[in-house]
Formats: sequence, structure tokens, C-alpha cells
Amino acid sequence: MARLKAAWKVLKHRPMSLLGFGLIGFFLTVAVLAPVLAPPEAGSRDSYIIPQSGYSPDPVRPSKEHWFGTTEQQYDLYYGMVWGSRTAFSVALKVVGFSVCVGILLGGAAGFYGGWVDEILMRFTDVILAFPDIVLAVVIVAVRGPSLENVMVAVTAVSWPSYARLMRGDVLSVKERDFVAAARAIGASDARILFRHIIPNSIYPVLVVASLSMGRIVITAAALSFLGLGAPVGYADWGQLISLSRNWILGSSGNPFEYWHTVFIPGLSIFLFVLGWNLLGDAVRDILDPRQK
Amino acid sequence: MLKFCLKRLAFLPFVMFGVTALLFSCLQFLSPEMRASLYIKDPRQLSQLEAVIEKHGLRKPVYVQYGLWLKQVAQGELGYSETAKMPVASAVRAFFPATFELTLITFFPIMIVGVYFGVLSAVHKDKFVDHASRFVAITGYSLPSFVLGLFLLMVFYGKLHWFPPGRYDLTTDMLVHSEAFRHWTGLLTLDCLLNGEGAAFLTVAKHMVLPATTLLYISVALLLRITRSTMLEELSKDYVRTARAKGLPESVVIRKHALANALIPVVTLSSLMFIGLLGGVVITETVFDFPGIGRWGVQAAQQLDIPGVLGSTLLAAFLFVIANLVSDLLYAVVDPRIRVGN
Amino acid sequence: MIARIRPVMRLILVVALLLPTVPAPAAGEVKNPGVYTYLTISDADSLDPAYSYDTASHMLWMNLYEPLFQFEKTSTSKLIPLIAAEVPSQENGGISPDGRTYTIQLRKGVRFHDGAPMTPEDMKWSLQRFLLMDRAAGPSALLLEPLLGYAATRGDDGKILPDVWKDLQKAVSLQGDKLILRLPRPYAPLLTILASWAPVMSKAWAIKNGDWDGTEATWQRYNNPSKESSPFFERAMGTGPFKLERWDRKTKEFILARNDLYWREPAKLKNVVIKGVAEFGTRKLMLQAGDADAIYADRPLLTQLQGIPGVKVIDDLPTVEMSPVVFFTYEINAQGNSFLGSGKLDGKGIPADFFSDKDVRKAFAYAFDYKGFISDVMRGKGTQATGAIPKSLPGHNPKGRKYSLDLKKAEEHFRKAWGGKVWENGFKFTIAFNTANLPRQTVCQILKRNIEGLNPKFKIDVRAVEWPTFLDGYKQSKLPIFVMGWNADYPDPHNFAFPMLHSKGDYPMTQKFKNPEFDRLVEEANAEPSVSRRKDLYAKLQDLAFEEVPQLYIIDAVRYRTQREWVKGWYHNPIFPDSPYGSYFYPISKD
Repeated sequence: MARLKAAWKVLKHRPMSLLGFGLIGFFLTVAVLAPVLAPPEAGSRDSYIIPQSGYSPDPVRPSKEHWFGTTEQQYDLYYGMVWGSRTAFSVALKVVGFSVCVGILLGGAAGFYGGWVDEILMRFTDVILAFPDIVLAVVIVAVRGPSLENVMVAVTAVSWPSYARLMRGDVLSVKERDFVAAARAIGASDARILFRHIIPNSIYPVLVVASLSMGRIVITAAALSFLGLGAPVGYADWGQLISLSRNWILGSSGNPFEYWHTVFIPGLSIFLFVLGWNLLGDAVRDILDPRQK
Repeated sequence: MLKFCLKRLAFLPFVMFGVTALLFSCLQFLSPEMRASLYIKDPRQLSQLEAVIEKHGLRKPVYVQYGLWLKQVAQGELGYSETAKMPVASAVRAFFPATFELTLITFFPIMIVGVYFGVLSAVHKDKFVDHASRFVAITGYSLPSFVLGLFLLMVFYGKLHWFPPGRYDLTTDMLVHSEAFRHWTGLLTLDCLLNGEGAAFLTVAKHMVLPATTLLYISVALLLRITRSTMLEELSKDYVRTARAKGLPESVVIRKHALANALIPVVTLSSLMFIGLLGGVVITETVFDFPGIGRWGVQAAQQLDIPGVLGSTLLAAFLFVIANLVSDLLYAVVDPRIRVGN
Repeated sequence: MIARIRPVMRLILVVALLLPTVPAPAAGEVKNPGVYTYLTISDADSLDPAYSYDTASHMLWMNLYEPLFQFEKTSTSKLIPLIAAEVPSQENGGISPDGRTYTIQLRKGVRFHDGAPMTPEDMKWSLQRFLLMDRAAGPSALLLEPLLGYAATRGDDGKILPDVWKDLQKAVSLQGDKLILRLPRPYAPLLTILASWAPVMSKAWAIKNGDWDGTEATWQRYNNPSKESSPFFERAMGTGPFKLERWDRKTKEFILARNDLYWREPAKLKNVVIKGVAEFGTRKLMLQAGDADAIYADRPLLTQLQGIPGVKVIDDLPTVEMSPVVFFTYEINAQGNSFLGSGKLDGKGIPADFFSDKDVRKAFAYAFDYKGFISDVMRGKGTQATGAIPKSLPGHNPKGRKYSLDLKKAEEHFRKAWGGKVWENGFKFTIAFNTANLPRQTVCQILKRNIEGLNPKFKIDVRAVEWPTFLDGYKQSKLPIFVMGWNADYPDPHNFAFPMLHSKGDYPMTQKFKNPEFDRLVEEANAEPSVSRRKDLYAKLQDLAFEEVPQLYIIDAVRYRTQREWVKGWYHNPIFPDSPYGSYFYPISKD
């Protein structure tokens, strides 16, 4: 409780962090209330499939019937945005969670055991870091087939090495501390030392970096969707919705902004979502890391 | 120093080997039919799928194919990229200068803007300038390049017709391919000036405005943050306080003392920034149809053009190792306290 | 602070003012006279006519090289001679009464781009090279089949067959100035194939540049070659109205120049530029600015091209293609196959032979909204197809029976299918389409929506898969239903009847669809020289296909072309590759 109070004290004077909390809170509310805000069509088996009204290729501008208008092929943009917020949360949290876990385990093992384990793991991270991450991610999705799961796999595969390296460095320094030596002296097992003493004491920097990189991960995943490698067509996913606008950015002759909503609405959502996470990441860092104040 | 450099360079073949081995192991996921799809573009060709697999040796186990590829590379042959429609080596030569030019043109503005506003933020901490520049930076950091890119295209191309996508128009295209046009540097803007072609220079420059702006806006935040925090750290140090106590004017304190020290990490990071930019152009080039190495890499990856992917990623890996080396060396140069090799 | 920023702002303003907006050409004024620019999306594969088998390459080389014949203007049946001096027929003695020997008189006074005269030997060499190259997935099979009687020079083991050279010498020979073709059996479409394929190329130039010298000793070295090993890959030496100036692969650009030595009147255009521009927006703006004379754009984008001053949209142009077509797989490969769910008729999947029941196929046929597809996706353009043979071809039967949306009938057939078990238990499976193909995707979505509406136990998932995955599933007969199409190699009904309905054709092989009655009709029609009797046979075949429903034919599509108003002389022949976008540039002028 005292901790929360202290955190609030920090936050109170930082309007930007509050904005971050506000944005993420807003999207969270939308995601939770999705079935109420945009009730799925009766009889649809998958609520994430955006309803289509007709098959005409021309996007339709916002109207009473379609609050945000429709995209190419008449997908309802409002429905897509609302349910897409669930997709966005699920992708971001899963990818970050998973790559942080992999990073902590492998980085922890490398730092703790040292020697050839360290050598192999670190050289492996060298190789992955040497790739432009988008290209490697595209290769992974391309060989495994485009789908949201594979996008998550690919983004995880390119993100864990930086956590692992950070973790390894911290473990190396924690390992030398007295309490580890003490635990060893009383005969604790390797696993016990690693999980009870070392990881809990070296995990904070990784968590800070993880919260800061949330936004980037959302962007990378959205970029893959934009390239057509993500969710199937018609699935509520912001990256995909924006890629549906690519043919329409010029509008019709005489009205260059005729189809503005197809770019602007999904683009704004991705932007605000990422902005929210980035502001939130800054706040988390300031709370956890008092040096930065 | 030399020993250190050699050691880092010896690391190069290892990374290259690792990168290619990793790519080939990804191929394990693919059936020979899937790999043959690169060569089958039309339903009319489907009946001969088996013959295509046979011709390109796609039925062989992946490690055998890797071995064959390594042998080929040892003979100086990087293969043929279907997406680029030319041998990989020529493709690298054709696409890299465009990317390099775009990166270079964006790099210096980023350094200037990033450092300038970073320092300004730190000096005027918690004032309006600080909040404003940090807000602008963090919005840039939060903006996906394809969102910003499409939006810029919509306004500056669709509405205003100022900045078209691509690298140049047809007239310039004809010009730069004519006999008379000498390619001195490979950087098209510079070459146009050296050839005395003012109009062509303007066209080429015009085509780079939007991709460069996109890159600048999304990349400047990182540098601004680093500059700001190192600057803040320096400003709180004792020697700055001493200087202030001695009554030196604030501008002297900032420029002569704090800035010099604060810039050390910035300079050492600059080569890594450059590499980050090279990686960041992938999507930007795709959105703006800019014929560079990033667009080629993504196309090759999407179509499973394995030689193309290998070619573009090998180049990226090579640059990555070199940039790391340069970064370490810079560190030693700007900060005399650090001795390389320890 | 503010004082420091001001000069920057001023600079930006000045630069902005200096920037020219896109200058629309003034009325009556022609931009870049004599230079015709076409913007496309596809990338040519190779300029070697014996190697390339894609429309982008074909469209290019048909302006650089000339085959024996060509279709007259917009006709897909009437031929005019090009390299041949006349079109052989049974009346003029060019075709023997048994239909197995063709005697083709060759034109004199034709020169290659380098000025060397074209000789009968060049023609014979070119035709032989076309047949012998036989690269995997190349066009050689089109002529190997009629001339040698087998579709490949290599067996299934990849080894060259023993008699190829001997058979070839028998099939293709010279007699003075005449080219003699001897067929193992009559093959009605031969002349139409020769009107699109195997153009004359310079033998002397080829040998000088390291290509095949025309002898038996060396031909095997040039069999199934790698693309870039051919000297004709990026250079050209033909007799066509244009010669190749440059192929810039970095910017995806071809520049052609007029051939002033052409044997007919030289072309009116001085240069032709063909450039690959992936982004539609760029293509549109360049057309709008008059920097391009014609662009590629497909049906969904039409509204964005209407009403641009100085730009004309020419619509309702016929095609020689049948796409999209829905194919049912009679015997699905169930091994490790997620497309068919549980593999049983238990409501969670379908059995491997689900579509072998005619009632299932008919139910699907009645559940598709043909009219809605044409009005929504095709913007009301085109007509419903009546069979596998497109409207623009001779064997097409306009009175053929066709299905229409009738959900009552669909329900009837579903109730009958599999002894009522389908209706009782329901089913679930996945339809796949390859990504980035809007019409095919919509076909799947319409089927899904209509069929799921019939019975809550009917479940269809629609899945977009990348081309590699699609190809893999297709080749192994893993896709329960797939949507594809077929473009003509040559304008003859056989080119549709065989690949779609003969048990040895590409699609039936994958569908595991086999019917001896179909095979007999396809073969008989192909060997039949009489046009009217052929027509009857094809009508019968289409009627059979209506009853059997191995496939759903949806639309006889039409296309539209956008060009600047100053482009003159262009005409559309649907068999020209890439027409109506790309074209035969010889008749075009700009003024």
C-alpha cells in the first residue's frame, strides 16, 4: 500500500504518465466491453470476424449505419476497431510475456552456468541480433504460413535475445554477491539458487526494459500484419485494416480525401495504443528506477 | 588495438555462417512443393511442378542444400534472386546505394535534431520546451512507419502532388541511364550534382523528402532521450557545480563542460544508430516503393526467394558487425579513459 | 529560441513554394510524342521466347519477335501470315488431307534487327530450339504434344528420352523454302499455337553468343537450362517491329526502339517504355499527369480512374480466360490434413470422398450467388459463364445450361446427399484461397455465407493461404474446395476442355475426377477437323459437365483499359498476352 502511494506521488506530477494510464485504460475498457460496444451478428461463430455488408470494393464513408465507415470490401471499421483492441492486447501481452520468460531463463542460465552454455547461448543471440528484425520475422512467418499465432512466434523469436543479454549481465553481477555465496555454502541446489536468489534479484532491469519495449513490439507485429502476413482477411486486427487502405489513399478524382477514414482511423488507434504503452513504460521505469528522476 | 580489431573481424565469418545456417534451418518447415512455388507463377505451369523441384534440387535434405550453397559461395557465386531478376551480387550492388543514400541523408538531421533538442530539454528541464520536445519525440517513437508513411502520402502526394513515391521519374530515369551520365559515387543526389544536372537533382531529392521525413520522425526520439539523460547526469555532477560556483556564464558551463562529456555516449552510439536506421528502412522503403535493399529483402522473404533473403540478410549482418566494431573504436577515441581490449 | 527557428521556417516555405505541382497536360497537346509508356505491375521473367511462360514476358517478346502467324486484328480464329508467306489450309494444299502434314511457305525479304536476312534455316532452328529447350514449367510442351506426340523431352526420372532427336527430325524439316511439319496424329489447334509461340530468332547471333549450334551432338547441353544462361534472357535478336534498347532490372523497366529495317511499314512509335510500378497510386498519378499512356488496373479500382480529364476508359473487352472457377476434390488426401476437420461426417469434419456425391456438388452449385458476384465484385460487368469454354472461343455454347442461386434446391440436394446424413449431422471444413486475390476470396465468402445460412450445423471456414502453402495443398489434393482459374495458351476450346475436364488434365488430376465419357469427347473434338462438328462435340461436353458439376464456372469476365485520349490505333485481341493493358504496339500511334 505504501508502495502504491509512493507510486501515485510520482505519477501525480507527471501528466504524460497519467495520459499513458488513461489511454491504456481506455483501450482496456473497449476490449473488455467489446461484446457490448459492438455486438457480433447473430449466429456468427467467431466474434473476431468483422461483419461485411455486401462485397463491393469501394470503401464507404462514415454514416449512421457504419460509424467509422467501411473499408475495401465493406468490412465495418467500427466493429474492426473495437474487437481489434482485444487482438492488440492479446498480441502485445503474449509476445512480451513469452519473450521475457525465454529471455530470463536463457539469459539467467547463460550468466549462472557460464562456460560453454554461456558461449553457445550468447553466440546464438549474436546471430539473431545481426538480422534486421523485420526481415527475420517475415522469413519465419513466410515459412510457417501467415497467421496471428505465427506473427507472435516470429516477433518473440526476434525479441528475446535482448532480454537474455540484459539478464545475463545482471546475473553475472548478482552471482558474486554474498547471499549467493551463503546459499551455496549451506548446500542449496543450482535450481534453488537460480530461482530463489539470483533471478528475483536481477529481474528488475529486464522488466523495466520490457515495459519500455511493449510499444515497439506492437509496432513490429502490426507491420507484419500490414505486409499481409498476419491475421486472415476480415479478422479484427488493426494492422490488417490499415493495409486494406493502401489502394485508396489517393481518393477519387476531384476528392483526394474521399477515403481518409480507411487510413486515419486504424492508424490513429495503433498510434494511441503504442503511445499509451510508451508513456506507461516511462512511468514504470521512473517508479522502479529512482535514479532517473 | 589492432589485435582487438582483428578479433572482432574474426567474429564476422562466424556471424555470417550463423545467419545463413539459421535461415536454412527455417527451410525445414517447407515442403519441396512450397519451395518450388517461387518458380511457378501461373496455373498453366502447375502440371510441371515435379520437374521444377527436380531441376532446382529441392527434394534433397536441407543440410545437403546448405552444403551445396556453401560450396557455391566458396566459388564466389551467390546465386540468382528471382525477386530481383538478377544475380544476388548484382542485386546488392543495385539496391544498396539507394538505401545507403536514404540512410545517410536522414542520419545527420537526426543527429542534429536529436542532440539539439536533447540538450535543450535537459537544460530547461520540466519547462515547456522540455515537455514539448519530449512529447513530440515520444509520439514519433509511437508512430508506426507505415501509418505515418501512408498519411504523408495521402496529404503530400494525393492532395498536394508535391512528393511522389519511388526514387525518380521517367525523365530522370532516362537521364541517369544515358551514356553521358557518370556514376561517380553511386549516391544519386551527389552524382546528379557532379554531372551538373540541377533538375535531376531536385527530382531525386524530392523523392527522398517523404521517406526521409518518416525515418527522421520515428528515429529521433531515441537519440533525444539518450542525450537528455546523459546531459542531466552531467549537469548534476560536481565539476559543473564548481564551474557555476566560480561564476562562469551558464552557456559556457553547458557548452564547454557538460556537453562535451554528455556527447561521449551519443557519439559511440551513432554507428549503432546508423545500423538501426538501415534496419528501419525496411517498411519505409516498402511504403514509398523506394528501390532499396529493405524492400528487396521483404519481397524476397515474402516470396521465399531464398537466395535473395540470404543476400540481403548477409549484407545486413556484415554491416551490423562492422558497426559494432566502429562503435567500440569510437568509444576508445572519444573517451581516453577507456582502453580498448580490456 | 524563436528567433533561431524563423530562418528555418522561411527556408521551408521557400522550398515549398518552389515545388511544382503535377502539371496536367494542356488540352490538345501531346506529352512525349512518339514515346509510348505503359505501367504494369508484373515483372517479366525472361525475354527468351522458348523459356518464358508468363504474360509479362510474352507481351514484351511479341513486339520483338514474330511467329509464323498472327491473329487478324480482334479475331481469335482468323489468321494472317507473318513469317509464313501464307496460312496453310486443306484448300490451298498446305495441310494434307489426313491432317498430319503441314507445308508452310516462308516469307522472303525479312531481316533481323542487326540487318542479317532471315532464312528458312533460322525458322527451323528456332522451332527446334523451342521444342528441345523444354525447361521445367516452360512452354515447350505446347508444341511437343502435337509435333512429337509426347509432352516432355525428359522422363519422370529427369533423364532425356532416347528418341527425341530422331522424332524431332521427322517432325520438323525443310524442303527448299518450305517448312514441313509432320504430326504423329491430327491436331486441330496446331496453327493457333504457332500463332502465339515459337517465333523466329537469329541462329547466327545465337551461336555467336554461345547458344545451341543446331546439331545433335550439343542439344542436350541446352535442355532444361538455367534462366540466365541463355543469351536471349536479357537481349533480343528477332524480326519484330521493335528492338530491345535496354532492360533495367533495378527499376523494372524495358525500353524498346523502333526497328527501321522492319519488312512492313516501320512502326509509328519511336520508343516504347514498359515500367513496373507496384503501387496503384503512382500509376494513376502518372497517367493523370500524362507521363504514362496506359496503365494496368483491375476491376475493383475502376471508380478511381473514371472522370480524369484526358483519360479514356474502354470497357467490356472480352477475355480468353475462365476465372474464378470453384473446383471440388473428389478424393481428398486425408493424410495430416487439417482442411477436412475430423475426417468423418460427424458435424466436425467431412470424409475424404465427401464431394464424390453429386448431390453435395449440386447443392454447392445452387448455393452460389452468381448474379451478386457479378454485380458487386465485377461491378456488373461480364456475363455468367455457361461452361468451361469462354465466350470468346469458337466452341462456346451460349445456350448451355447454367446454375443460379436457388437456396431451396440447394437444401433439397443437401437433404438427399449421403443418404440424409449430411443434413442430419452437418459438416465442417476449410476452403482455402491464395492471398491477395479479391475475386477468389469473395467467391469463398459467398459460398460460406449462403451455405451456413441453410443449416446451423453446416460450418465452413475460409482461410487465406500464401501461394506456397496453397500450391502444396493443391498438388497433394489436400484442399476440399479450391478456387483457381485458367488463361488460354492459344485460342482453341481444346486449351480449356483438356486441362479442366480430361482425366489427364491439370485440374482433374488434382481433383481426382475421372470420367471416360468426358475423356472420349475431349479427344474426339480435338482430332475433328470440321468446325461445326467440333462445336457440337464441345456443346455435348459442356452439357455433361453441367450434370456432373466437377467445377463451378462463374463468369465470362470482361476487362477495361485506361489510356490517354491521344493514343490512337490500339485494338484489343483477347489472346494477346496482357491485353487489354499491355499490347501489340505496332499499330499504335500518339498524336
